[in-house]
Amino acid sequence: MRIFDPHIHMTSRTTDDYEAMYESGVRALVEPAFWLGQPRTNVGSFLDYFDALIGWERFRAAQFGIRHHCTIALNPKEANDPRCREVMEHLPRYLVKDGVVAVGETGYDSMTPEEDDVLRQHLALAIEFELPALVHTPHRDKVTGTRRTLDVVAESGLGMERVLVDHLNETCVDLVADAGAWMGFSIYPDTKMDEARVVAIMQRIGLDRVIVNSAADWGRSDPLKTAKTGLAMLDAGFTEDDVDRVLWRNPVEFYGQSGRLELDPVPGFAPAQQGPDLFEGNSVLRGMASRRDA
Amino acid sequence: MTDAWAFGYGTNGFADHTLTDALDVIADGGYGAVALTLGHPHFDPFAADWRVQAERLSADLARLGLRIVVETGARYLLDPWRKHRPNLLDRDAGCRIDLLRRAIEIAAVLQAECVSLWSGVLPEDVTSAEAWELLVERLAVLVPFADERGVVLSIEPEPGMLVETVADAVRLRAALGDPASVGITVDLGHCVAVEPGGVVGALRQAGAALRNVQVDDMLPGVHEHLELGMGALDLVAAIETLRELGYTGVAALELPRHSHDAPRLVRTSKEAWDAAAAAARHPWTSRAVATVAASPERASRLFAEAGRAVGRTPLDPADPHGYRGTADDDARAQIIVALHDATMSPETVRGLYEHGDDAERRGVLRGLGRVAASVDESWRAAGLALTADALRTNDPRLVAAAMGDFAARHLDDHAWRHGVLKLVFMGVPLAVVSGLDVRRDDELAAMASRFAQERSAAGRSIPEDLHLIVALYQEN
Repeated sequence: MRIFDPHIHMTSRTTDDYEAMYESGVRALVEPAFWLGQPRTNVGSFLDYFDALIGWERFRAAQFGIRHHCTIALNPKEANDPRCREVMEHLPRYLVKDGVVAVGETGYDSMTPEEDDVLRQHLALAIEFELPALVHTPHRDKVTGTRRTLDVVAESGLGMERVLVDHLNETCVDLVADAGAWMGFSIYPDTKMDEARVVAIMQRIGLDRVIVNSAADWGRSDPLKTAKTGLAMLDAGFTEDDVDRVLWRNPVEFYGQSGRLELDPVPGFAPAQQGPDLFEGNSVLRGMASRRDA
Repeated sequence: MTDAWAFGYGTNGFADHTLTDALDVIADGGYGAVALTLGHPHFDPFAADWRVQAERLSADLARLGLRIVVETGARYLLDPWRKHRPNLLDRDAGCRIDLLRRAIEIAAVLQAECVSLWSGVLPEDVTSAEAWELLVERLAVLVPFADERGVVLSIEPEPGMLVETVADAVRLRAALGDPASVGITVDLGHCVAVEPGGVVGALRQAGAALRNVQVDDMLPGVHEHLELGMGALDLVAAIETLRELGYTGVAALELPRHSHDAPRLVRTSKEAWDAAAAAARHPWTSRAVATVAASPERASRLFAEAGRAVGRTPLDPADPHGYRGTADDDARAQIIVALHDATMSPETVRGLYEHGDDAERRGVLRGLGRVAASVDESWRAAGLALTADALRTNDPRLVAAAMGDFAARHLDDHAWRHGVLKLVFMGVPLAVVSGLDVRRDDELAAMASRFAQERSAAGRSIPEDLHLIVALYQEN
């Protein structure tokens, strides 16, 4: 199985995670800039974080055979803090960097006028820098937030095919499917979405524009949820090719619109193979995944 | 960078070899193409079995992986007394036209990339106006003949001939209606001898019509084909221009007076060409350097784009991690040199580093290495601050880039020794350190020796190249 995790916050994860991800088939990922849990109080704090995303974290990932990319934005929660909004003027110089493959995560948290304004600015930047946009949907009042997000995207002039609307569930997926944007599902141990539910959605709507991520971060989350979703798909009767489409080709097609993906193997590491990861008849991943579940 | 053209060798430089042997020597020398001159001694175009010969040759070329162009400049093929005669300007040019028709037929069998031909010198009994008319008239008949067979004709300007410069060839092509199936051959050496715009000007003037390149050196005003390096040709500039044009055809050595020494020239010419290709800029870099020299404020955007534009391949294939530099490092270093030469304040460079990702930071450090010998005090201070910053990081490629020529020349002993030891600690080969032979000292040897003791105490292996800085550690 080859996996492109299109949304994972590696800054918050350990080297054990990198090793386990590589073992499960992850060869490339995208780390969206986000809220660190502890609120930031000044622009410099953002800049050091962005510099880590385009520098140190790429190097760290490469040591484990994984190609690291990122998205850059002011996250919706901190868009409400005037001390943080000053970072907007610094975004352009990051949006031209090699590893930056989208503007994001942007979108709504509490649907304030400030969030509205920053979302519009982000979409305009995506157009200016010819990048796709990763748009987060709110935890609370998700359907309203999703609808409003799609309206703002439509007004912005950014093509829907260049927008990935993330953290979707059963209640809002059809809105995004009908709009023509990409549909992101964050598979979590407790919240957001789980493997069985996302597989049921795939059975209902198909695999077009469907993207699955672990969105693993500093909270209770699991960087192997992409692989586990692949297994759940196989159990439900999807083919190896279907799994490859959802876990590799779809995210590559979406972020590939940036023209900046680097997917050749890191020197010294093997490319992941499409198809089952079998060793003496057993799935390597199953053993590894069950070990990590214990 | 990988170039799209095929580097070749002309068989007229192999008059003392059979064609089969010549092809073997050329292919074995790492060449990807051959320029076949029809006539003595390799290929008789008027032989009864010419087609069989051509088919056999075609199979040989496929087996050897050689592309081919057909040349028609044999000296005494049509007249044993008069060199290159009759030509397309003679009143009676029947056998010349027969030769060109046959060359086109042979090229079709060989799937050659073009048939190259010249106009000829002006005959004594023909005025230049008449000659021009004859030339256009005769080519106007040959072009459809070639077209029907899928063969491209390429006009070669030749010193002393009616069509002497690329400007003449452009004019001739226009007289024929600028057909896509008529191109221009440029001999790089001729450019030194007769082209008013030099090699760069001549190649640009041929532009998209360039279909064939002959490679040799020459001295101004003297039409004598010389081996590369023996004349005044700026080969690096020629290769940069070929890249700028996106040239994808054959570029073949043209050394018709060097057959006695062909095997050596096969080797040395390839070495000279490869060295020039390595030194030649990527076209993106040429444009970026020119842009930065005129508008330094555009450096930051170009700096960010360099990797996407020129790639990230390590310069040394034996160095997969790029500790000794990569294609994008090299492009960025040239931008830094341009900023330095434009007497920009070092604040610009500091900004590129501080606002750069890991690759951009390496590019700044590589650039500082290139200007190390000529920096003023403000650049020196800025360079030292950036070097110190890089040496604090844990990214081996950044630390390796920081230990180049700038550090060798300007970094204080203490910091320099710690930089060297840090590389050992990170497992980076010490070959990346500039000036190691000159700057290593007893204190560094003692530090390395203590490091070796620590490794031994921990039961770990000692890096092999530690002996470069300490000879006696095993005895301690």
